[in-house]
Amino acid sequence: MSHLNIAVIIKLEPDFSEGNVSYNPDGTLNRAETKNTLGPHSAIAAHAAFFGRVMYDAKVSIATMGPPIADLALQQAQQISDAEELHLYSDRLFAGADTLGTAEVLRVGIEKMQEKMDIVFSGHRASDGETGQTGPQTAWKLGFTFLGNVISYNVDVETRMVRAKRLISLQGLPNIIEEVEAPLPVFISIDPTYKSSYNTVSQRLAFQKYKKEAIQLSDNFKDYLKIFNAKELGVDETLVGLPGSPTIVYKVERVPKSTATRQAEVIDGSDPEQISKVVKKMKEALSAMVIK
Amino acid sequence: MVEKYRHLYVVIEHEDGKFLPVSLEMIGEARRLLDGFNSKYSSNEKVVAVILGHNIQDLSKQLIEYGADAVVYADNPELKDVRNTIYTKVIGQIAQDTKSLGEIEPEYANDVKRPRYMFFAADSIGRHLSSTTLVELESGLASDINKLVIEDIEMSHQQKTGGKKETYAKTLEMYRPDFSGFLWTTILCLDNRNPAFQRDYHPQSCSIIPGVFEPLKPDSSREGKIIEFTPTIDKQDLKVRILNRQILKSEVDFDTPRTIISFGRGIKNDPESNIKLIENLAKELNAEIGVTLPMSKKPYSISHALDSKYMIPDRVIGTSGHKTSAMLYIATGVSGAMQHVWGMKDSGFVVAINPDEEAPIKDECDIFIKGRMEDVIPLLIEEIKKQIHIVEVQ
Repeated sequence: MSHLNIAVIIKLEPDFSEGNVSYNPDGTLNRAETKNTLGPHSAIAAHAAFFGRVMYDAKVSIATMGPPIADLALQQAQQISDAEELHLYSDRLFAGADTLGTAEVLRVGIEKMQEKMDIVFSGHRASDGETGQTGPQTAWKLGFTFLGNVISYNVDVETRMVRAKRLISLQGLPNIIEEVEAPLPVFISIDPTYKSSYNTVSQRLAFQKYKKEAIQLSDNFKDYLKIFNAKELGVDETLVGLPGSPTIVYKVERVPKSTATRQAEVIDGSDPEQISKVVKKMKEALSAMVIK
Repeated sequence: MVEKYRHLYVVIEHEDGKFLPVSLEMIGEARRLLDGFNSKYSSNEKVVAVILGHNIQDLSKQLIEYGADAVVYADNPELKDVRNTIYTKVIGQIAQDTKSLGEIEPEYANDVKRPRYMFFAADSIGRHLSSTTLVELESGLASDINKLVIEDIEMSHQQKTGGKKETYAKTLEMYRPDFSGFLWTTILCLDNRNPAFQRDYHPQSCSIIPGVFEPLKPDSSREGKIIEFTPTIDKQDLKVRILNRQILKSEVDFDTPRTIISFGRGIKNDPESNIKLIENLAKELNAEIGVTLPMSKKPYSISHALDSKYMIPDRVIGTSGHKTSAMLYIATGVSGAMQHVWGMKDSGFVVAINPDEEAPIKDECDIFIKGRMEDVIPLLIEEIKKQIHIVEVQ
């Protein structure tokens, strides 16, 4: 039996796109006025799962933890990935969880899915929380080999091996692409630069076929949706939500205005004469360069 | 009271026999924090560098010079490359190894079980390694930290203390800038003292943004203990095979150009034509183009070509991207969030173009051109054409 089972963990996030996002006068996000959507990194993870659907005829399942309205993110991710199984873990007991408490819910949920997973995908990080910890923490709890910053992958379904390229960027060094090989199961967190490529005609035909199917499925996404509360999921209530979260947000403050490091001269931008003086100063600043 | 948690462990990263700068920055900050800690609490806790790799004895010694009191190293051919699974296991073993914990400071040897605090780098390696290690250790982790304070905190918390007032002594306050750069969130990792679900959460851990803290000058007269740790290596944890590594040359270069022009949300009135204007200005000055962090998150769908050329993480100037010391830095439509300022403040001459005189960037520039970029940049280009002719420098 060489079938491949793929799960994706996703997140409903504030929509940062122009027209949907709203900022407070102080530059912070106005959450009440900002719409929600499938997080952009989650969407990339769903695309990576769809690659597995097209290339290996994989079965795709999607999981998220969130409020009831997070079913919107599941629908959007289904439309991308042609998933047959959508899981929403929703309970007030889960609220306020940090990444460790969240990873526990996702771990239990993934293990509860119909199939035993071969690959689990997550996005690089959420665009609101931005920790990037939930993916690797879920991986470790599942006991899956974790591969981070993956920009492309392929699977040998017969030998049950995955090959992946990872983008590693380290301070002061040029970026490195590392190619790795690991036996399934693996947990892959997808780099923002991930791209699926379908090179042959048969791949592109399969792409079209599953794309069409994905749209049909997501039109009736509720037929594929299962919602679990804490009890239905069977989680240990001390390991999720606030009790299962070692960290708390102690305070949120405006970043204090740092003392001015420079004394700016203010110039009227509509006055060509003043602009001419600015350019003269720019020229002086660049004087170590070869200027004629 | 018996204290089971002692010392500050710093997980060191290195490549090709050299430390990544963030490793020494973390040691420097750890040293400053613990010096304050030891004098405040009349204690004798240590900065402990943890280093994994192969043939790393020399590196271990240098860590003492940079401020560590002790180094625990694991030297094994299987640790030559960073692989998440085996690295997580070995770091987990080191953090729970009471033998080396006792050797570090014999005074505490009888009771010590784990480190009190633990630092990782917030980069492609440390971000994931910290996440998995802290699941292994079942404790808390804050990411992308740029300020650290140790305090006794008195609080009552519905979940943590069951609503009772409690003092959490020697608590690490971990400050992280949020995605906007305007808010600072302080994260604490606290034991659950609520009788309903009592649990210890130590070490208190975080990942630290590279480039934020200053390293110490190496001092060869510093002394410290170097402790070899022999890891237990299970074949099960060696499943990942590294096939090859290829160095990528970035298309974006923030190190050689003398001039950098960066743009932020201020392009929003007409992103496409504003970016064209910025491109023209860059051409006149032979400048590289940078962006602020929110730009890399694709907030605008401009055009596929412009999106993929400019709205990318590789162009971000700031704590989540590059740091530059350009001779001339022009910030247009940039408000001046802390995380961006960090990336440009070492520049020589700074010009900001912004209609809002209240924008924080005003305090970070030498000339503040008040106006909209749509109006100002064409004037600048015209004037530069008259005055400046850049000769290509090799």
